[in-house]
Amino acid sequence: MVKVKLFGLLRLDSGVKEFATEAERVKDIYQVLIEMAGKNGKTITAKNISSCAVLVNGQQANKNTKLKDGDQVIFMSMVAGG
Amino acid sequence: MKSKYGGYMGRVIQLDLSTKQATDYPWTDKDRELYIGGKIMAAKILSDIFTGSEDPLGEENVIVISTGPLTGTGAPSSSRFNISTLSPLTGILASSNCGGTFGYYLKKAGYDALILKGKCDKHTWLEINNNKFVFHTAEDMWGTKISGCQQMLDEKLNEKGNSKYGHICIGPAGENLVKYAAVLSGERAAGRAGVGAVFGAKNIKAITAAGNHIIPVYDREKTVEWNKKWFNYLKKHPLTGSQLPRLGTAGLVSSMQMRGLLATKNYTYGHNDNFEKVNGETLAEQYNVVNKGCLTCPIKCARTVTVDGKEVKGPELETLGLLAGGILNDELNLVNRWNSELDELGMDTISAANTIAYAMEAKEKGLWDAGLEFGRTDNISQIWEDIAYRRGVGNELAEGSRYLSRKYGGEDFAMNVKGLELAAYEPRMAAGQGLGYAVSNRGGCHLNGGYLVIREGLGLRTDPNTPKAKADFTMLFQNLMEMISASGQCLFTSYAFFPGFLLTQPDGPITKVCNAAIPHIGWALRAINKCPDVLALHLPVFHHTKIFGYALNMPMNFGRYIRCGERGYTLERYVNARFGITAENDTLPRKLADIPQDKNNPKTVVPLERMKKTYYAARGWDKNGVPTEATLRRLKIK
Repeated sequence: MVKVKLFGLLRLDSGVKEFATEAERVKDIYQVLIEMAGKNGKTITAKNISSCAVLVNGQQANKNTKLKDGDQVIFMSMVAGG
Repeated sequence: MKSKYGGYMGRVIQLDLSTKQATDYPWTDKDRELYIGGKIMAAKILSDIFTGSEDPLGEENVIVISTGPLTGTGAPSSSRFNISTLSPLTGILASSNCGGTFGYYLKKAGYDALILKGKCDKHTWLEINNNKFVFHTAEDMWGTKISGCQQMLDEKLNEKGNSKYGHICIGPAGENLVKYAAVLSGERAAGRAGVGAVFGAKNIKAITAAGNHIIPVYDREKTVEWNKKWFNYLKKHPLTGSQLPRLGTAGLVSSMQMRGLLATKNYTYGHNDNFEKVNGETLAEQYNVVNKGCLTCPIKCARTVTVDGKEVKGPELETLGLLAGGILNDELNLVNRWNSELDELGMDTISAANTIAYAMEAKEKGLWDAGLEFGRTDNISQIWEDIAYRRGVGNELAEGSRYLSRKYGGEDFAMNVKGLELAAYEPRMAAGQGLGYAVSNRGGCHLNGGYLVIREGLGLRTDPNTPKAKADFTMLFQNLMEMISASGQCLFTSYAFFPGFLLTQPDGPITKVCNAAIPHIGWALRAINKCPDVLALHLPVFHHTKIFGYALNMPMNFGRYIRCGERGYTLERYVNARFGITAENDTLPRKLADIPQDKNNPKTVVPLERMKKTYYAARGWDKNGVPTEATLRRLKIK
């Protein structure tokens, strides 16, 4: 199982804050997340997810990054402006 | 002097508060071409007045309230106005920018700028209505908090039959000369560098402006058409169209946490373990009532939250970061409350937060016990009151972190530059932002510093620790932002400078190439900075230049735009040099320049000296950080 956390607009768009799932690679999480958003009455696409920065255990990652049991995956939309 | 250009009202008025005399200040179209408006115009006026010996709280200090030519032309986010003066907090030039409606109504009254000299003999609210300047007693308002004062002003103006006007006022902090007191226009604040204390020293509680002048626009049809395009562009851009409207600036907290940029425990760390309780998402999900924006702003970054059943302005990123992790508080509702209390008292939230954080660390280190401790939150509301009314320990806290560290020790952790407290960005993971803090003209400001953090982990992800190309980028961004501000626009319009796909495709091939290439293009930026005239064109992602032609009929292109910004930036430095600012003052607290954020990575400090050297050379300042005669002549400052 990997733990997934969402930040930024993706969290607002999906209504999902965090969850745990089985996944071998980051991109395996996409479909799970799309379905969870659907259950919340929200619609997101793989494009929405891939527009986010991905961190695995705090390190820069991408959709092809391999995951192992216990990893923490963060999806975060890019932001600026303070 | 009337202007041939659109956008300008053609009058700058000078008020002697001591004699109550109003005179026109000579300001020509040549001045408008060189100094545009806002903070650059103010720097020129103050450069012609200040000798370097003025006391910020003395009668001899001068306040310039200036608008930009785009205010009132319908350009996006163009309601900003600027207050410049000699700062009581830093002792150098302050320029504090503000949204709200006052700038627009000052122009409706017929003026591009207002110069305030001397001192009122009693507490005063100044009413400006077209050609009339009325000095009313403010004895009944003196002592009121911001909303109370604004309500009284509304009542007084409504009684006179006025319904369209703008006002600015100070709260108890300004009256009591708190060194970081603010001036407020509606909910918006000219917060930084203590401009409110200068109002207080001059016995000015409030200024109102109203009038029925028409703000001239050169080609209204083309201006409207261009503004429509520009609004649409901003609305479609991922930062100005989605992130800022939906999450506000508070949306940065999580991102900063991930990048080690979130100043925590008085900048001891770049990460806050409890950030999820105090981030923009939580604010949006649990507290935000409605989004608000300034006049003509499509971005609408402001939050509204509820405190004690009343809807009030919500915290921005700086306040949220510094009053949460900065002092080890993880209750967002307290930040909402404190933000509102500081606004009501008329105090800068950034300086207030950093000043109490200094006191907390001073206690931890056994240097000074002001009754403030990291993680203790029960006495903070009382502390704000004590500061604003200069009661007990608040009287010392009202002087800011630099004063306190000089008195009690701990300059290494008094988080200010030139006396101005830093924003919430921890620069050891954003070297360019660190350089910006150090060289910023008004002191430790993230925006006046060039906001390089946008490409050091937030918008883009170039190497945050390398000094490569940082000095050149800093200069370019500072110049750009200087001009945006001088035009009367919000700096947030500049974020659309980055094509949206760079943000929505963080792992896309073009984004990757950009991130990798940027540290290696310092030479190209240096060439542009040196000869901006080669860019005598309009960039498709930068709408700010064409509007000068449509609304003003003033020749403008990207190169000229940068040059004007450069002129303003160097002019401010030239004034500051008169007050003793040199390279020695362009520094950072030791915590940031010498102690790595990550003990295992010596690169996680700000490599300041190396970047400074390149920066001065790029700007045409000498090794001591002073603009050379040749540079002053090149920029037509002399």
